[in-house]
Order: sequence, then structure tokens, then C-alpha cells
Amino acid sequence: MGLLSIIRKIKRKEKEMRILMVGLDNSGKTTIVLKINGEDTSVISPTLGFNIKTITYNKYTLNIWDVGGQRTIRSYWRNYFEQTDGLVWVVDSSDLRRLDDCKFELHNLLKEERLSGASLLILANKQDIHGALSPHEIAKVLNLEGLDRTRHWEIVGCSAYTGAGLLEGFDWLVQDIASRIYMLD
Amino acid sequence: MAGEEEGNQASTETLDHPPAPAAHPKHAAMLERLSNRHQQSLSRKPDPNSPDSTHSFLSLFSQSKLSIESNISLLRRQSTDQTNPALKSDLEKIFTSISHLEKLVAENSYSLPSFEVRTCLEAVSSLKQTLDTLASDIVPIKRFSFRNKKDPSSVVNAIESGKTEFHGSGEPSCPVGDLLGFKEREKKAPSSVVNVIESESRVTELEEKPSFRVWDSPGFKDRENEVLVREFKGLEMGEFSLTGLSSCEVRLTGCLRALFVHKLRDCKVYVGPVFGSVLIEEVEGCVFVLASHQIRIHRARGSDFYLRVRSRPIIEDCSGVRFGPYCLGYDGIERDLKESNLDEETGNWANVDDFRWLKAVQSPNWSILPESERIGRVTIVSSDK
Repeated sequence: MGLLSIIRKIKRKEKEMRILMVGLDNSGKTTIVLKINGEDTSVISPTLGFNIKTITYNKYTLNIWDVGGQRTIRSYWRNYFEQTDGLVWVVDSSDLRRLDDCKFELHNLLKEERLSGASLLILANKQDIHGALSPHEIAKVLNLEGLDRTRHWEIVGCSAYTGAGLLEGFDWLVQDIASRIYMLD
Repeated sequence: MAGEEEGNQASTETLDHPPAPAAHPKHAAMLERLSNRHQQSLSRKPDPNSPDSTHSFLSLFSQSKLSIESNISLLRRQSTDQTNPALKSDLEKIFTSISHLEKLVAENSYSLPSFEVRTCLEAVSSLKQTLDTLASDIVPIKRFSFRNKKDPSSVVNAIESGKTEFHGSGEPSCPVGDLLGFKEREKKAPSSVVNVIESESRVTELEEKPSFRVWDSPGFKDRENEVLVREFKGLEMGEFSLTGLSSCEVRLTGCLRALFVHKLRDCKVYVGPVFGSVLIEEVEGCVFVLASHQIRIHRARGSDFYLRVRSRPIIEDCSGVRFGPYCLGYDGIERDLKESNLDEETGNWANVDDFRWLKAVQSPNWSILPESERIGRVTIVSSDK
């Protein structure tokens, strides 16, 4: 906890949270956001750029930034780091070949200083697909136990297609952010 | 300025007597808030701004800081004995006490002079750093690495359920599932039986120490000059992958959930509806006939794609790729397309997004196949007959 975060806690009046959704392309970020917002998920094109959704969740307002994951636009992720309270890293649990790539990008992202205080939720998506890895296996591959000990993180298996696990994951994220940011209330 | 004066006035008022009823409701609310806060601070701490409270905090802080420091140096002396199992728990204990200290600073940051807050935080972070270096000396960080191991349990499962699944292992073994498959590979069948037996005997061995596995999705891997056929029944098929094929013809009929294609050369790939997404990487000189909800194509050169997609297909780092409409037929394809919600022609095969060409003018990397150069309707006749 740096001086900056203390000042932020004191200053924070409105119960707003900024959440950044990232992950490799084809992991299901946009589908997840639309699903928790109760929108139609049958036609979703790969995200060219980003989407923003404002969702009221319990007593908090979540500003969710869903940023495209194609390799070409990954370098733009850093434009969205400022003021991020929660980071959602989405993994395609059925894409075994690119897990190495996924691990590299995640650890690369977590080096970023502006994200050092953000709570990290890893969604092991596509659990409904036969042959997908379990959240436990994903945690091993991504070496989550090796993360910095000050990092608050959690991994949750989910399916953006059926909606299973999404609320569980976001419940944890919102709770964790709330306990950090609104501690002084 | 005026507001500030009012504020000061209000706080002095609350000290002596209750504030006079204010004319303005906002003003009244503010006065009430101020008096509440004052009452609170009175009841909690006698006088938060007095040097006394700062002083007592600082002494408490330096006390716990000292105890942490002595713990660290004690641990360092013990750390020569790497086998001591208590080392790790000691580390955790010190780590928690540092977090407690940090929390203490945070809780008192209201009442402390900013200089003290800063120095305390610096002290905390230097403590953390010392602990981190000590921790990395004591417990070397284990790095994760991929190991090349088969997944014997699922091989056995595949045999038991009679499903045709291939677990690529990098060795040129004949896949289990193809026992039921082609004539041309029937002669290799005995060798694959041996393989299966080997895997089975390895199951017990691996069950004792459940180490990390490396998976291969079901699929075709490392083949050359072959016709590869697979028929999926119902919706139970999950992902499927095509990897390292060269000059092959691939026919996949029935529905599947996800398709991964990697490193194909001069192949023809005909696929039934994919209820999910298709990811294609590093292909050259290929023809694809695909129906899917989402299609992503990376690093493709000189290939033709006949697509039906519910969303816009995308290309990235591609050149010379051309697009046409889906043209596959087999017995029951209409039913499969309907089940996968792909029975409607959306025309999206022509709405390609090039992530390397974010301009309004047409990307030079892709084009629409001229009708005269398109392949005709491809019909797959079931191999059962």
C-alpha cells in the first residue's frame, strides 16, 4: 500500500470500481461482459478496439473495460491501466496450445506498476467444452502460486456460454476491491 | 474563503454549546456532521492532534519494527540450515506482521503528520524488501516448465467409451481411434495396440504421483499426404485440433464446439458446423470450408476460405487470403447446421476485418474470390458405406 492508494481511499466518495478485462484473443471476454449484463451473446465479432459497460452490481457501480485481445492490439492495453481497481484475466481453458502464450502475457501484464494494487480475477472460461482444463490445472500452468504475495488473486472456472461461475467470480472481485478501497468507511 | 471561516466558526461553536438552528438546511446538515465528527474523535481518542498521540503511535511503530527486524536477522542466521521446515512458516509469520504494521500506518494516516506517514511507509517498504531478498535466498522460486508426458488416463477412457480420439504425442504412432478408421492404416493396427498396452501399464505408475500433465487435444497431428476423416455424432464432441499437416485432405463431419488449426501446408480442410469459435494460425496454400460462430485467422498466406460465420471473420498478419461462401454438403448437414444455429446465411463471409489494416479503404491482404475461381459444392460421402 503506497501513499497514493491511501490518498485514493480518502478521496473516494462514490462507490465506483473500474474493472479491466484482458486476455488472449478468443478467450471470451466480450461474451462474459454481455452475459453478466444479460445481453444476447449469439452474435459477437472479435473485438476491434474496446467496449465499455457500466453495470450496477450490489451497491457498486462497475465500469467494465473490455479490451480486444488480438496480438496487434495487445500493445494498446497499457492505455487502459490507469486507475484500474480490478483486473480480470480471461483464459480459454480449451486452447491448450497457447497456454504458454497466455502465461507470458499475464506475467508481462502484472509487471506493470500501475496495476500493482489491482485485485486479479482469473476466469478459466469455456469449462463447458469437453476437454477443457480445470481451474486447478490452469492455476498450475499459469504459475499463480508464484505471484507476488501482495497480490490479491482468485481463479474461478466459468462458462460464458452457460453463465456458470461468472457471478461467483465477480462476487469475489467486488468484495475484494471493496475491502481494500472502502476499508476506512 | 467564506466557507472556511464558517467551518471554523462552526467547530468552535460545537465545543461550547449546541449550534443555533441554521436557516439553510445544507448548512444545518454540515454543522451536524461537524459536531458528530467532533464527538466521535472525542470519544475515540482524547486528542488526536496532540503530539502525545503521534508520539505514542511512533513508539508503537518503532517497537514492532524493531521486533520484525530482530526476527528477520534471527531467521537469516538460521537460514544456513536449508532443511529446516520451520523456515517457511517463520517467513509467513514475519510477512503477516509486516502487513499488520502497514495496516496500522494506514489506519492512523488520518491523524498523523504527512511526514511521519511517509517515513513510516518507507520503513515498511524497506522491511518488505529485506524480507523478500531473504525469502528468495531461503526458498528458491520454483519455475514451471512443460514436460512431455502422455495423458494415459484419457487414452484408456477413449478406448473404454469406444470413442475415436487421437492423442498426439509427437511420436509417429498410429492413433488409437483410427483402429476403426482407414483401410490404408489397418496394417499398422498391431503397433497401436502395443502402444495402448504400454499406456495402460503407465497409468498406475502415474497415479501415485499426480504430477503436471501436458495435454494434447483430440485431433490430427503431424501427418503428410493422407486423407483424414472423422465423423462426430451428436453434440458431445468438444474441441478438435489440426496441427502440423502437410498435403492432407481433412474431412470432419458433424458438430463440434471449437476447432484449432495450426501449421498447415497445402491442405484441404472441410469441416461441419462449429458451435463456438475457430482459430487458424500459420497456414499456407490451403483451402478451408468452415461454418462457425467466430473465425480468427492469423498468419495465413495464399489460402482460400469458404465460410459461413455468424459474426465478422478477422485476419491478422495475413496476405493473399481470399474468401467465398460456405459450400459443404454431407448427409444430414442441414440438421447439424440448424442445431448449431448456423442454418442462416448471414453474408458475413465477405465482411472481413483486417487487424493489420485499420483504414477505410480495402485491405490489400484479402479479397473476395471471383466466382469463376471458386470450387464447386463439396460433398462428403459417409465412410461407413
